[in-house]
Amino acid sequence: MSEMQFLTWVRGPGLDLAIGIFLLGVFWRLFEIYSLGRKKDLSESRQVAGASGMNTVFRRSLPVPGMLKTSPITYVGGYIFHIGLAVIVFLFAPHIKFIQSLLGLSWPGLPSQLVDLMTVVTLAAMLVVLADRINKPVKRYLSRFEDWFTWALTFMPLLSGWMAVHHLLLPYTTMLALHILTVELLLIFLPFTKLFHAFTVFGSRWYNGTVNGHKGVAV
Amino acid sequence: MSASLEKGVRVLKEMIDAPMASYFSSCVHCGLCAEACLFYTETGDPKYTPIHKLEPLRRIYEQEYTVLGRLKKLIGLSKAVTDAELDEWRELVYNSCTLCGRCSVVCPVGNDIVYMVRKFREGMSASGNAPIGLKGATNRTVTIGSPMGIKLPAVKAQMKHVEADYGLPIPLDVEGAEYLVMLSSMEIINFPEYLGAIAKIMHQAGKTWTLCSTSFEATNAGMQIGNSDLARVIVSRIVEGAEKLKVKTVISPECGHAYTALRWEGPNLVGRSFSFKVRHIIEVLGEFQEQGLLKTEGFETDRLTFHDPCQLARRGGVIQQQRNLMNMVAKNFVEMPDAGFMNWCCGGGGGASAIEEGEELRLEAFKKKKAQLETVKPDRLVTACANCRIVMEEGLEHYRMDIPIVGLTEMLAEHIPDPTSAAVPAKSKGD
Amino acid sequence: MTITNDQEFKARLGELSAVQQRQVAARFLHRVFSLSNDVRVKAALDMAMRPDISDAELSVVSQAANTARVESYTQCGKETDWATQAGHFVAKAAASCVRPTTEGQNLAWDTAMQVRVARTCGVASGDVTDYREAEAQYAILEDFLSK
Repeated sequence: MSEMQFLTWVRGPGLDLAIGIFLLGVFWRLFEIYSLGRKKDLSESRQVAGASGMNTVFRRSLPVPGMLKTSPITYVGGYIFHIGLAVIVFLFAPHIKFIQSLLGLSWPGLPSQLVDLMTVVTLAAMLVVLADRINKPVKRYLSRFEDWFTWALTFMPLLSGWMAVHHLLLPYTTMLALHILTVELLLIFLPFTKLFHAFTVFGSRWYNGTVNGHKGVAV
Repeated sequence: MSASLEKGVRVLKEMIDAPMASYFSSCVHCGLCAEACLFYTETGDPKYTPIHKLEPLRRIYEQEYTVLGRLKKLIGLSKAVTDAELDEWRELVYNSCTLCGRCSVVCPVGNDIVYMVRKFREGMSASGNAPIGLKGATNRTVTIGSPMGIKLPAVKAQMKHVEADYGLPIPLDVEGAEYLVMLSSMEIINFPEYLGAIAKIMHQAGKTWTLCSTSFEATNAGMQIGNSDLARVIVSRIVEGAEKLKVKTVISPECGHAYTALRWEGPNLVGRSFSFKVRHIIEVLGEFQEQGLLKTEGFETDRLTFHDPCQLARRGGVIQQQRNLMNMVAKNFVEMPDAGFMNWCCGGGGGASAIEEGEELRLEAFKKKKAQLETVKPDRLVTACANCRIVMEEGLEHYRMDIPIVGLTEMLAEHIPDPTSAAVPAKSKGD
Repeated sequence: MTITNDQEFKARLGELSAVQQRQVAARFLHRVFSLSNDVRVKAALDMAMRPDISDAELSVVSQAANTARVESYTQCGKETDWATQAGHFVAKAAASCVRPTTEGQNLAWDTAMQVRVARTCGVASGDVTDYREAEAQYAILEDFLSK
């Protein structure tokens, strides 16, 4: 297979397959999880302002007072790479063009130099959180194959994309094809690994906020 | 698979609901919950990371409720939960978890970890893997009707003693009283002065109240061990008593888990809403204070701090009332770091204090409270849970710290003018 | 002069000096001493009887009595043994009896109360049907005051 054939495959059948698995996977997983339902709480509720599922969905994005000091790398590293990923995926002009080709939707992007800088920072943040996972006894203790694997799944598209833009290591076409391929792998595995927290995080925070909000506790 | 293990796994399967499935699917192994758990912070042992305490339950969820998990189990990639594993997990689910719920409020993806530990205990208890100390309490609840083996004559003896000491009647089985006062086992056994304090407070507020001869004890070992059938028996007794006496409100004692068991789990255990209200004594005192029914004299002048029982504050939503009450009688009230919503557990909640083999770990975990106390250096420590009180007294004794502990209700009652000699003002302590 | 109620009893005790209070308290404690078999309680009782006890000695026995008190707690969830529990209150009475005095505190009254609770434990277990510890305490105080 030539470079061009490779690129054509990942842009065509490969992409269709990946998006197909991703969509089916997401819908199935959401169904599998939330169709389990839960029992109605029969106890008398206590109403307190700020104690609800919706409140917790937003509030939990910020660290509880005192926690930032105990785990600065987890919080700061986490913020940087999550925000970085969102900016790179959705505000890099070529990505917007790509999304437009799929969905027909488009929005203004950020200057490419800025996105480039964010990519470097995000890559660095991801390396730092990886080092933290190796160093910190608790994180190392909790880590299984899946934790290392999903880190690589997230890191690879970022690295390959950045290398493609800078024409490093491999010819541009090959690197671009590799970039798209790694994105496809990410899409395929996302619904079936801990990466699915991208979807369930809202449900989890909402349940936590609702169950405790019923008691008048703003968590 | 042994019969008991089979039963345990079946119970666990029944426990799994959408919130749990969502929580397990959301965990990213960030380890932040460890930093919220005093058993981890004081020992530095990663096995005490809260989410790790649920590992067997997570696997059951994955193997039974996800397509991929079933597949993994089929081809042998995911191993089944064993008796030996649950046996090993007993220390993690009971000895090193007080159901304090700090982990649930720090988790960045929003996992309510304590919600899951509480449910995990149901399976542990069903499979026979609960600690011996808690099993004993269970057996006594079945055979004697009380987790600690307390019978009515014991309560009557305390009532008589309190009546003689305080010169106030202790009503029993009074139909139509506004309040039904429940006691914790601890108060019947170790702190009879609580009952005297209630008598004084109710007398001043002009409220009718009563004890009930068929249900006087609110401590719920069934909830702590994780046996809903048993927890239901204990709660049902209270519901029957309250309905028989037609009271408006049942007052949960200064005992955190009794409150959670009755106030939040109670209606769900018996399967219907209650015809009466359930309030913690601190909530009732807060209402009396607001309505001007609680009138105190004099002030404590020594340096006091307040330990928030987890089930009252973080798990029960009663946070401000105790502070207003403290300020009513204390001139020098100082807060510990993390006080209120984020307070650290005494280390013995959730049944942990009844686990003998967990004592060493409990004392280790107490270093957190010790550090909090060392920051504010109080003369005395006030709290509103008889169990916290005993656990902390033991901790303070172990670390040779001379800080007496008092119950908030009793302290308030000491500032209520003596009903039999209205002219004598309450003495202030510790000048 | 006869003491007939707790108000009077408490007031009279309050009028005593710390040393006198401790001596009366020791007599109260002596009545229930047999309910405890803790050597630390015995040591506290022996010390409290002595009129010439120093503050340093007091603080040693008081700490020991307090340890005896805390160690004898019935913990939440454990089976209640009222005989042991009586011992706990005796230890608590002993701790009150020998605690270093602070101005304005009525240690004799506190001891008397704990002694009564210790007696109550006997009633709770069904071993004793009735008790009149209060009257006995009034008599002890009267006897002490008349000397």
